[in-house]
Amino acid sequence: MQCGWSLLGPLQWIRYINKQVKVTAGKDEEHRGWLLTVDPVSASLVLVNFHDDAVGGGRASVQVVMGHAVQEVQVLQDADQETTQRLQSSFLPPRARPLAP
Amino acid sequence: SIPTSAGSEADVEQLPKEQHARSVLRESFLRCLLSVTNKKVQFHMYERVKVEATFGASDIDVMNFQVSDLHTPIGVQKEALIRCQDVISFSFDA
Repeated sequence: MQCGWSLLGPLQWIRYINKQVKVTAGKDEEHRGWLLTVDPVSASLVLVNFHDDAVGGGRASVQVVMGHAVQEVQVLQDADQETTQRLQSSFLPPRARPLAP
Repeated sequence: SIPTSAGSEADVEQLPKEQHARSVLRESFLRCLLSVTNKKVQFHMYERVKVEATFGASDIDVMNFQVSDLHTPIGVQKEALIRCQDVISFSFDA
Protein backbone atom coordinates (compact mmCIF):
# COMPACT_ATOMS: atom_id res chain seq x y z
CA MET A 1 0.00 0.00 0.00
CA GLN A 2 2.93 2.31 0.58
CA CYS A 3 3.35 3.25 -3.07
CA GLY A 4 -0.29 2.50 -3.95
CA TRP A 5 -1.43 6.08 -3.52
CA SER A 6 1.38 7.44 -5.70
CA LEU A 7 0.45 5.07 -8.51
CA LEU A 8 -3.27 5.87 -8.68
CA GLY A 9 -3.01 8.65 -11.28
CA PRO A 10 -4.95 11.91 -11.85
CA LEU A 11 -8.31 10.34 -12.75
CA GLN A 12 -8.37 8.47 -9.44
CA TRP A 13 -6.97 11.31 -7.33
CA ILE A 14 -9.57 13.76 -8.59
CA ARG A 15 -12.32 11.57 -7.15
CA TYR A 16 -11.07 12.35 -3.65
CA ILE A 17 -11.22 16.14 -4.16
CA ASN A 18 -13.68 18.05 -1.93
CA LYS A 19 -14.04 15.11 0.40
CA GLN A 20 -13.14 14.93 4.04
CA VAL A 21 -10.40 12.35 4.29
CA LYS A 22 -8.30 10.62 6.90
CA VAL A 23 -4.72 10.15 5.81
CA THR A 24 -2.24 7.93 7.59
CA ALA A 25 1.36 8.75 6.80
CA GLY A 26 4.83 7.80 7.96
CA LYS A 27 4.83 5.48 10.96
CA ASP A 28 2.17 6.94 13.19
CA GLU A 29 0.84 10.16 11.74
CA GLU A 30 -2.83 10.69 11.08
CA HIS A 31 -4.36 13.75 9.46
CA ARG A 32 -7.96 14.69 8.78
CA GLY A 33 -9.19 17.47 6.58
CA TRP A 34 -10.92 18.53 3.38
CA LEU A 35 -8.88 17.46 0.40
CA LEU A 36 -8.15 20.52 -1.72
CA THR A 37 -5.90 18.90 -4.29
CA VAL A 38 -3.31 16.24 -5.01
CA ASP A 39 -0.08 17.26 -6.70
CA PRO A 40 0.11 15.05 -9.80
CA VAL A 41 3.91 15.23 -9.74
CA SER A 42 4.58 14.14 -6.15
CA ALA A 43 1.15 12.69 -5.19
CA SER A 44 1.19 15.01 -2.16
CA LEU A 45 -2.16 15.82 -0.60
CA VAL A 46 -3.31 19.28 0.49
CA LEU A 47 -5.72 19.11 3.43
CA VAL A 48 -7.61 22.13 4.72
CA ASN A 49 -9.35 22.56 8.08
CA PHE A 50 -11.54 25.59 8.73
CA HIS A 51 -11.58 27.13 12.22
CA ASP A 52 -14.90 28.86 12.58
CA ASP A 53 -14.92 29.21 16.36
CA ALA A 54 -14.18 32.50 18.14
CA VAL A 55 -10.50 31.63 18.62
CA GLY A 56 -9.98 30.52 15.03
CA GLY A 57 -11.63 33.63 13.64
CA GLY A 58 -12.60 31.95 10.39
CA ARG A 59 -9.03 31.07 9.50
CA ALA A 60 -7.90 27.85 7.94
CA SER A 61 -5.02 25.55 8.66
CA VAL A 62 -3.42 23.63 5.86
CA GLN A 63 -1.53 20.37 5.94
CA VAL A 64 0.46 19.04 3.05
CA VAL A 65 1.15 15.33 3.31
CA MET A 66 3.99 14.16 1.08
CA GLY A 67 2.93 11.51 -1.42
CA HIS A 68 5.86 9.20 -0.66
CA ALA A 69 4.86 8.98 3.01
CA VAL A 70 1.18 8.16 2.46
CA GLN A 71 0.09 4.79 3.83
CA GLU A 72 -3.66 5.01 3.48
CA VAL A 73 -6.34 7.48 2.42
CA GLN A 74 -9.85 6.98 3.73
CA VAL A 75 -12.91 9.02 2.69
CA LEU A 76 -15.00 10.22 5.65
CA GLN A 77 -17.67 12.38 3.99
CA ASP A 78 -18.54 14.57 1.02
CA ALA A 79 -18.43 18.35 1.26
CA ASP A 80 -21.64 20.36 0.94
CA GLN A 81 -21.80 23.08 -1.69
CA GLU A 82 -20.73 25.85 0.66
CA THR A 83 -17.68 23.96 1.89
CA THR A 84 -16.72 23.02 -1.67
CA GLN A 85 -16.88 26.64 -2.75
CA ARG A 86 -14.95 27.85 0.28
CA LEU A 87 -12.35 25.16 -0.23
CA GLN A 88 -11.81 25.81 -3.90
CA SER A 89 -11.57 29.58 -3.45
CA SER A 90 -9.04 29.29 -0.59
CA PHE A 91 -5.97 29.96 -2.71
CA LEU A 92 -7.39 31.84 -5.64
CA PRO A 93 -5.79 35.22 -6.32
CA PRO A 94 -7.79 38.00 -4.68
CA ARG A 95 -10.20 39.43 -7.22
CA ALA A 96 -10.39 43.14 -7.84
CA ARG A 97 -12.69 44.57 -5.23
CA PRO A 98 -14.59 47.83 -5.46
CA LEU A 99 -12.69 50.64 -3.76
CA ALA A 100 -15.70 52.22 -2.08
CA PRO A 101 -16.63 50.73 1.30
CA SER B 1 9.27 10.10 -9.61
CA ILE B 2 5.77 9.38 -10.87
CA PRO B 3 5.23 8.58 -14.57
CA THR B 4 3.42 11.35 -16.44
CA SER B 5 0.93 9.13 -18.24
CA ALA B 6 -0.90 5.91 -17.57
CA GLY B 7 1.43 3.92 -19.84
CA SER B 8 1.84 2.92 -23.47
CA GLU B 9 -1.43 0.95 -23.56
CA ALA B 10 -3.32 3.96 -22.18
CA ASP B 11 -6.71 4.46 -23.78
CA VAL B 12 -6.56 7.19 -26.42
CA GLU B 13 -9.92 8.56 -25.30
CA GLN B 14 -8.81 8.53 -21.70
CA LEU B 15 -5.72 10.65 -22.30
CA PRO B 16 -7.31 14.11 -22.70
CA LYS B 17 -9.41 13.48 -19.58
CA GLU B 18 -6.35 12.44 -17.65
CA GLN B 19 -4.39 15.46 -18.83
CA HIS B 20 -7.24 17.77 -17.87
CA ALA B 21 -7.46 16.24 -14.40
CA ARG B 22 -3.69 16.56 -14.07
CA SER B 23 -3.72 20.25 -15.00
CA VAL B 24 -6.59 21.06 -12.61
CA LEU B 25 -4.84 19.30 -9.74
CA ARG B 26 -1.45 20.82 -10.50
CA GLU B 27 -2.73 24.38 -10.82
CA SER B 28 -4.44 24.11 -7.48
CA PHE B 29 -1.28 22.70 -5.90
CA LEU B 30 0.92 25.46 -7.34
CA ARG B 31 -1.47 28.14 -6.03
CA CYS B 32 -1.24 26.52 -2.64
CA LEU B 33 2.59 26.56 -2.79
CA LEU B 34 2.49 30.23 -3.81
CA SER B 35 0.42 31.07 -0.76
CA VAL B 36 2.90 29.35 1.60
CA THR B 37 5.71 31.68 0.57
CA ASN B 38 7.08 33.63 3.56
CA LYS B 39 4.81 31.81 5.99
CA LYS B 40 5.88 30.01 9.15
CA VAL B 41 5.71 26.31 8.47
CA GLN B 42 6.07 23.33 10.76
CA PHE B 43 7.68 20.29 9.19
CA HIS B 44 6.97 16.81 10.52
CA MET B 45 9.88 14.57 9.63
CA TYR B 46 10.85 10.98 10.28
CA GLU B 47 11.90 9.88 13.79
CA ARG B 48 9.35 12.32 15.19
CA VAL B 49 11.47 15.33 14.36
CA LYS B 50 9.48 18.57 14.18
CA VAL B 51 11.12 21.73 12.97
CA GLU B 52 9.88 25.21 12.18
CA ALA B 53 11.01 27.43 9.36
CA THR B 54 9.89 30.18 7.03
CA PHE B 55 8.89 28.68 3.72
CA GLY B 56 10.63 29.96 0.62
CA ALA B 57 10.02 27.79 -2.41
CA SER B 58 9.86 24.29 -3.79
CA ASP B 59 11.46 22.99 -6.97
CA ILE B 60 9.09 21.90 -9.75
CA ASP B 61 9.44 18.18 -9.09
CA VAL B 62 8.98 18.68 -5.32
CA MET B 63 12.36 17.23 -4.38
CA ASN B 64 13.53 20.07 -2.11
CA PHE B 65 12.08 22.95 -0.13
CA GLN B 66 14.05 26.14 0.31
CA VAL B 67 13.47 27.62 3.76
CA SER B 68 14.83 30.43 5.96
CA ASP B 69 15.37 30.56 9.74
CA LEU B 70 15.23 26.82 10.21
CA HIS B 71 14.93 26.15 13.93
CA THR B 72 17.05 23.04 14.54
CA PRO B 73 17.81 21.54 17.96
CA ILE B 74 21.33 23.01 17.81
CA GLY B 75 20.43 26.46 16.62
CA VAL B 76 18.86 28.53 13.90
CA GLN B 77 20.05 27.92 10.35
CA LYS B 78 19.64 31.12 8.37
CA GLU B 79 19.05 29.44 5.00
CA ALA B 80 18.50 25.77 4.27
CA LEU B 81 17.28 23.19 1.78
CA ILE B 82 15.09 20.41 3.11
CA ARG B 83 14.94 17.15 1.20
CA CYS B 84 11.30 16.25 0.61
CA GLN B 85 12.13 12.57 1.08
CA ASP B 86 12.82 13.36 4.74
CA VAL B 87 9.47 15.08 5.24
CA ILE B 88 6.21 13.32 6.12
CA SER B 89 4.05 16.42 6.18
CA PHE B 90 4.11 20.16 6.79
CA SER B 91 1.48 22.54 8.05
CA PHE B 92 0.74 26.25 8.07
CA ASP B 93 -2.10 28.69 8.67
CA ALA B 94 -3.78 30.10 5.58
